[in-house]
Amino acid sequence: MENNSKMLKAQNLVRGVHELPTIPEIATKVLDMFDKPNVELEELAETILVDQVMASRVIKIVNSPFFKPMHEIKSLKRALIYLGFRQIRHIALTCSIIEAFEGKTGVFDVKTFWEHSFGVGVVAKIIAQRIRYPETEKAYIVGIIHDIGEVFLSYHMKDSFQQVVDELKGTSQSFIEAEEKLLGTTHCEVGYCLAKNWNFPVEYCDVIAHHHAPANASNDPTLAAIVNLADLFCSVRHLDYGGREWVSFNLAEEPAWKILKEFAPNFVDLDVERFCYELDERVPEVQDLVNSLFEGMIK
Amino acid sequence: MKLSDADFEILRDFIYNTCGMFFTLQKKYFVESRLTKRMEKTSIKVHGEYFRFLKNGSAGSVELKQLLNDLTTNETYFFRNPPQLKAMEAQLLPEVAIPKEKIGFRKLRIWSAGSSSGEEAYTLAMLLLEKRESLLKNWIFEIVGTDINEEVLKKAEEGIFNAYSVRHVPENYMRKYFKKESADRFALSPEVKKLVTFKHLNLYDDNKMIFMKTFDFIFCANVLIYFDTSSKAKVVQHYYNNLQPYGYFFVGQSESLHGVSDKFKTVHFPGGFAYKK
Repeated sequence: MENNSKMLKAQNLVRGVHELPTIPEIATKVLDMFDKPNVELEELAETILVDQVMASRVIKIVNSPFFKPMHEIKSLKRALIYLGFRQIRHIALTCSIIEAFEGKTGVFDVKTFWEHSFGVGVVAKIIAQRIRYPETEKAYIVGIIHDIGEVFLSYHMKDSFQQVVDELKGTSQSFIEAEEKLLGTTHCEVGYCLAKNWNFPVEYCDVIAHHHAPANASNDPTLAAIVNLADLFCSVRHLDYGGREWVSFNLAEEPAWKILKEFAPNFVDLDVERFCYELDERVPEVQDLVNSLFEGMIK
Repeated sequence: MKLSDADFEILRDFIYNTCGMFFTLQKKYFVESRLTKRMEKTSIKVHGEYFRFLKNGSAGSVELKQLLNDLTTNETYFFRNPPQLKAMEAQLLPEVAIPKEKIGFRKLRIWSAGSSSGEEAYTLAMLLLEKRESLLKNWIFEIVGTDINEEVLKKAEEGIFNAYSVRHVPENYMRKYFKKESADRFALSPEVKKLVTFKHLNLYDDNKMIFMKTFDFIFCANVLIYFDTSSKAKVVQHYYNNLQPYGYFFVGQSESLHGVSDKFKTVHFPGGFAYKK
């Protein structure tokens, strides 16, 4: 993948940015911890406490309406106990990425963007559970970060990305089609270069690169297919960050559906209609979570 | 009476499994209020007892129909399902019409099954009229509305609607296609009326169903929920046979065909889905 022209173009774009966003060290550490089976709460608390800004955000978020504690939580450790180990890792990671792009104005609305990202995370986790994919947490995390290439383009290639968004208006073209036409590369390759730059684990980089063509994923096509389907479902269930005038898909014709059916033959019996209605139920929950994240981000 | 989340889930799963209609958690308070009304009518005090009553033979199925009536408000109105209409406009109409235009076959046939007083059929007629200067120039439209109830068909043919019925009609459509005769009386323009034919039809009547041929689109909202699974399967099979090979079939908002027919392909679009032959 690294040799093709889209990838070269993406590398040039990412290298060409003078002040490449740096991700707080904590995000990389948090991602690393996923692969270690016995991480203690203490260890996570210490990692977060190194970054005082992050620590105070976590406390703000835990006190937000989404998590509704009975009494105000004042210490990080209590926040960690209240939120639970998993939740806190997601929050720390996402705050880091939001922080990396903070203070800049991008082409699209950040909140809607993160609603989509968390939506894909939630749906990816649900699909992973349904097909008994062993690492549901990984599906959730990679769902959240799958579109970081878009964030980069929105903030750092503002003018050309605005052209992409304009190109999409009133058409049914997808982002990748318009990006390829106007930029010669897409958010998949750009996201991959950025993730590499941030030293994200290889399986995350792989999904970021291939979430629109899961069959090409070299590391774990099933994980890429989970994120691809989650992305499709979010785009038709009120968790899309727009641009496109129109989107539709026929499940039976989706390569990701084929990959997942091979992984879990019983998936063919999925009650797709009910699945969609259940996703509709989750939308307000995702919106609340993102709201609380952004409340926590106000310094 | 307050409905617990657990009881809500029991009821919604029962309704989904028997009728194919899904109520999301956001509709819990609505379901609670309608349920309370039905429980008062039947003098049942406890949710669990009412749920058991619903499963209890013919008395139970009569009560289930009453409950469904209340839950679907049993009243239709113009522009009831915006995601479906948007899908028609943005994708499905062009997808069906462009290949037909190429071979010079400029005719569209649409069936609104269980049309009631005609709001859905007339909404579709207006949608097509809006395209007659562009995509559907010089096309012939045949829209058929069918219902088992003669009285509602008479109302449909009259084309006079109340304020409730027209409350979601967009301003430009209102100006073009309705004449306000009083605060609660709106007359539909003859231009729209002449596109739709209403017919009496019992969906169980196989001999008549086989003559409803060659439709491009079939709509059947809030009708199948009242049928048992085998009748549902039979009716849906008729719809399948009566669609053109490229045709689409729509059910109502929050309805599902899961377990009824696996012949259709599900096509997803923002806020909904359609079944493709």
